[in-house]
Amino acid sequence: MALGIRNLVKRLPPEAFRPGDIYITNDPWALAGHLNDVCVLSPIFHRGRLVAFTACILHHSDIGGRVSSDNHDVFEEGLFIPLVKLYDGGQLNQGVLDMIRANVRTPEQVNGDIRSQIAANHVCAEQIAKMLEEYRLESLDELADEIISRTEASLRESIARAPSGVYRAEGRIEQTEGSPDVLIKCEVTIAGSDIQVDLTGSSPQVDWSGNVVYNFTYAYVHMAVKSIFDSELPNNDGTAAPITLVAPEGTVVNCRHPAAVAARMQIGHFLTEIIYRALADALPHRVVAASGGTPATMQVFYGRRGSGEPFHAVLIRGGGMGAGAARDGEGSFIFPANGANTPVEILESDSPLIVERRELLPGTGGAGKCRGALGRREVFRVPDDQYAPLPPVQLAMQSGRFRLPAEGLFGGEPGAKAQFLVNGKSGNPYGLTRLKPGDVVVMDSAGGGGYGNPRERDPAAHARDLAEGKVKLGSDSLVPE
Amino acid sequence: MRVGIDVGGTFTDFVLLDDAGGRIETYKCLTTPRDPSDAIEAGLHALEAQAPGCIAGLEEVIHGTTLVINAIIERKGACTGLITTQGFRDVLELGREIRYAAYDVFAEMPEPLVPRQRRLEVNERLRADGSVLKPLDEAEARAVARALKNLRVESVAVCLLNSFENPAHEQAVKRIVAEELPGASVSISYEVLPQIREYERTSTTVTNAYVKPLTEKYLRRLEARLAGIGFHGRLFIMLSSGGVTSAGTAAEFPVRIIESGPTAAVIAGQYFSHLFELPEMFCFDMGGTTAKSCLIQGGVAGIVPTFEVGRVQRFMKGSGLTIQVPVVDLMEIGAGGGSIARRSKLGTLQVGPDSAGAEPGPICYGRGGTLPTVTDADLLLGYLDAEYFLGGTMKLDLEGAKRGIEEHVAKPLGVPFMEAVWGIHDLINETMAAAAKTHIAERGGNPHVVTVAAFGGAGPVHAWGLARKLGAPRLIVPPNAGVGSALGFFTAPRAFDLVRSHKVPLASADFPEIEKLFHTLETEGERTLRRAGAEGRIEFARSIDARFIGQGSETNLAVPTGDFATLDRNDLRRRFDAEYERLYGRTYPESPVEFVNFNVRASLPVKLLSLPKLARRPNAKAADAIKGQRRAYSGLAHEFISHTVYDRYRLAPGVDFGGPAIVEERESTVIVGEDGKARVDEYGFLWIESLGSGSSVPE
Repeated sequence: MALGIRNLVKRLPPEAFRPGDIYITNDPWALAGHLNDVCVLSPIFHRGRLVAFTACILHHSDIGGRVSSDNHDVFEEGLFIPLVKLYDGGQLNQGVLDMIRANVRTPEQVNGDIRSQIAANHVCAEQIAKMLEEYRLESLDELADEIISRTEASLRESIARAPSGVYRAEGRIEQTEGSPDVLIKCEVTIAGSDIQVDLTGSSPQVDWSGNVVYNFTYAYVHMAVKSIFDSELPNNDGTAAPITLVAPEGTVVNCRHPAAVAARMQIGHFLTEIIYRALADALPHRVVAASGGTPATMQVFYGRRGSGEPFHAVLIRGGGMGAGAARDGEGSFIFPANGANTPVEILESDSPLIVERRELLPGTGGAGKCRGALGRREVFRVPDDQYAPLPPVQLAMQSGRFRLPAEGLFGGEPGAKAQFLVNGKSGNPYGLTRLKPGDVVVMDSAGGGGYGNPRERDPAAHARDLAEGKVKLGSDSLVPE
Repeated sequence: MRVGIDVGGTFTDFVLLDDAGGRIETYKCLTTPRDPSDAIEAGLHALEAQAPGCIAGLEEVIHGTTLVINAIIERKGACTGLITTQGFRDVLELGREIRYAAYDVFAEMPEPLVPRQRRLEVNERLRADGSVLKPLDEAEARAVARALKNLRVESVAVCLLNSFENPAHEQAVKRIVAEELPGASVSISYEVLPQIREYERTSTTVTNAYVKPLTEKYLRRLEARLAGIGFHGRLFIMLSSGGVTSAGTAAEFPVRIIESGPTAAVIAGQYFSHLFELPEMFCFDMGGTTAKSCLIQGGVAGIVPTFEVGRVQRFMKGSGLTIQVPVVDLMEIGAGGGSIARRSKLGTLQVGPDSAGAEPGPICYGRGGTLPTVTDADLLLGYLDAEYFLGGTMKLDLEGAKRGIEEHVAKPLGVPFMEAVWGIHDLINETMAAAAKTHIAERGGNPHVVTVAAFGGAGPVHAWGLARKLGAPRLIVPPNAGVGSALGFFTAPRAFDLVRSHKVPLASADFPEIEKLFHTLETEGERTLRRAGAEGRIEFARSIDARFIGQGSETNLAVPTGDFATLDRNDLRRRFDAEYERLYGRTYPESPVEFVNFNVRASLPVKLLSLPKLARRPNAKAADAIKGQRRAYSGLAHEFISHTVYDRYRLAPGVDFGGPAIVEERESTVIVGEDGKARVDEYGFLWIESLGSGSSVPE
């Protein structure tokens, strides 16, 4: 985001900004990688001088377009808002708002969300001005330079302690049935306190919406570097300065307009684990094996209840975390992104669906000296009694790891793969699924990769796994029945 | 006569109040962790010596305790089992599936209180509306109960999906467990707190079960010991929500007394804000390890529906076990007298959140502490007197503190010594002020109008600096600030909070049905209070947790008592929008709203407390209380200036004096800056107003 905003505001001369101006854009290439992420950007003035910008990016659940991963270009994916003024010197540009409202399915919600973004910027601007007043500062520049340079120095110190060298890894990411796997080639160079990540040789951009813009690739490279070298540092330009990213244009990790980008996390989220793998030999205690929660998994069920009343339920769910050198993978999480699940009781009251199970899947964590965390199962039933919805119930999802599991490190085994079953048969996770009353959907998320040779596992840890039923007795099988 | 007993981590505090005579006696002794009732008995004997006959004359013992929270943190609860709906045994372990530290891939999660092998499932299922999808398989439930018995389970938690809408299955399981495991205690979610969201409800029910046997045992033993020394009155226990309840109810729902101790200060704050008619008060209690604060608006502290306990990383939200019971809206941050100062990774000064605690404590305590703390800085700034700490009972090591700050802060940072010392004091104030501003803003308050009320050992030392940074116009310091908070025990109402989830859109809600629901809750609340021996008229306060449909969290909306069916739908909607706008600055009248939880507080009117007044002394002057002069650091002048030192016990009601001043009492020290003005009221409270405008300004 910081990267994107800096480039955006450079497009205009400083004198173009006036107090009361508010800009809006969702340009995926300028910012966060898909159209749903709408940015509201405001200049901050103090005593008549432009001192800073504040921006708020919010994922809007609706931005129009055809909601699916199999679109072929960004035009299908919804409304594209270039950088335009929503407010001009305090005056609302009603035409812009009308244009947005006319292109989305839920104009009230989108409007409400935009307004909350404006409010957030307003609060930020007000507090910045107050702070400048309180400390009698003319501008933020000196303070910002100080914070950024200290952060940078601290991160550089940490990088410099790692062994310099060139480290390589490759990642394979599955696509829709019938398409070849996406290949990510990654070369990480640590030279003194600098770190360069070169993705040259990665697959060209794809014909569906998994394409990743440069900024989004950068974000998950940054996540990897920061989590390895110092997870506690504040987020600012200082944590970015030591990192150079090379991502050739036209590849899947730096796609060209007008590639389809809506499902960019399905590929982008893998960058973190690929960098972990590249640096595993150099920094074995700082990385974890691949996680079942990569990529973030999202399911959307929508349709109408028997009464005709519409429902729309968005669910995200985790997978097993990868293991590290000293600890088992812990917890079912989305990784490297983050987000909470929806309670079953909330989901069931907001939709006609019945959740029959939400549980850990024994035996799905990759074996190793340290075991990967377990994947989890969720079973949904579309009721066929008096609570039955009107057919069809649509199920759209973004997910992965159905064919390629989360790999282990240093001899650790991979976790179990994800699974998507409709009435006991494999469904197509990359398309839209139409369900009818009586259908049962099983979603198994992937387990985390193990770390180290399973034979070196502490017998006490294994005994505990057995007692808790987290591994299966006498079986090396990692695939759930 | 009444006595309040607060068993804390280090000390057990006693306050004896003679309502008729308007007299207060206090006593403090070390807590006896193995059996806290040892210290209680010893303390009561000591009070008896101070006020002969007091035990026999006691009508009430009001008790706050850290017993429950310690048992959870130290994992010393019962061997607990969980019975849950088929398919959901792992809800407790999955939690909400969110990583609390986004960049930390090694972040540890709290271990569930019940391991997987003791989480068993029964075949049954309720729908979201409470109707039965699958009837309970009683034979299986019986087999599950026996299986738990074989696992030597001492306490059983029962939490079934959607049970908040229909308790039938949980009640049946409870009966079966009672039959199969007659010795075990049982906690069912419908009785612990029937609220929507299965992880939070399961976690709460399990926690209740985990601490129930030990709480029961402790309270029974305490009652017996009190009877043994001649106490004939009633024992009450402080609830986290700010009310008090009978020992019986506390033993049944120990999960409701987790924050028993810290709550007292807030309740005392509520009382002061009533007494002095201060509509916006910010209670600030700073001890050795943390600072706890709470905003009191219109005489009432907020209640929040959920909190966390036993965090893996103490100040990381999300790293603890979720407890979904009403609790006073306290903010706790890692800022105390023992907070450690050091050079951060970024080469800046860092103070806290970790603390040297009481052992080894600050360097100046001379008990082996080697890392400089806030208290060490306060001493070097001249705010504390090395010879008069805890009334002179503890000598402080000035030289040690100097060396520590020089070596661990000034040198590594490359700054002059005094800049380092002042920096420690000022930075911890800044940390507290930043947290306070957020806390106040989130509750729709305004820091520029609050009166800061300072409690705790370190509270009055830092309150002046904090108030300035907040831009608060006024500061009050009750007499015996350490005891001031324990006064809350006497002003807490006998109350019980009840909640029931029932998710329904406002537009289509059946109001007569909701009236029935409220009525059921009120009947239940009345029964709970009566069972605890309550007499007289019981008052009910109703509220609804409501939200925009699709929103992730709720807004609490007070609703009038009286027949809900007669309320106007549009009027309720307007009230919701008004409250939402008050909190968040705007609202969305076009977005539909739904009800989620229905809340009732049943309470008895508070017994009035008359604070003892100081004896009037005609012609008394502040000068009569002057102990001398001391050079102490001024944050405004950035140098040491002469402060007048007053003996708090010799300050007569009505006198006033200006800053710079230091007011000393046994357990604490009050700082008044050079542009401040202080006055002593008839109760011995210090009222301090700043002549300066707003916050302090660094050079």
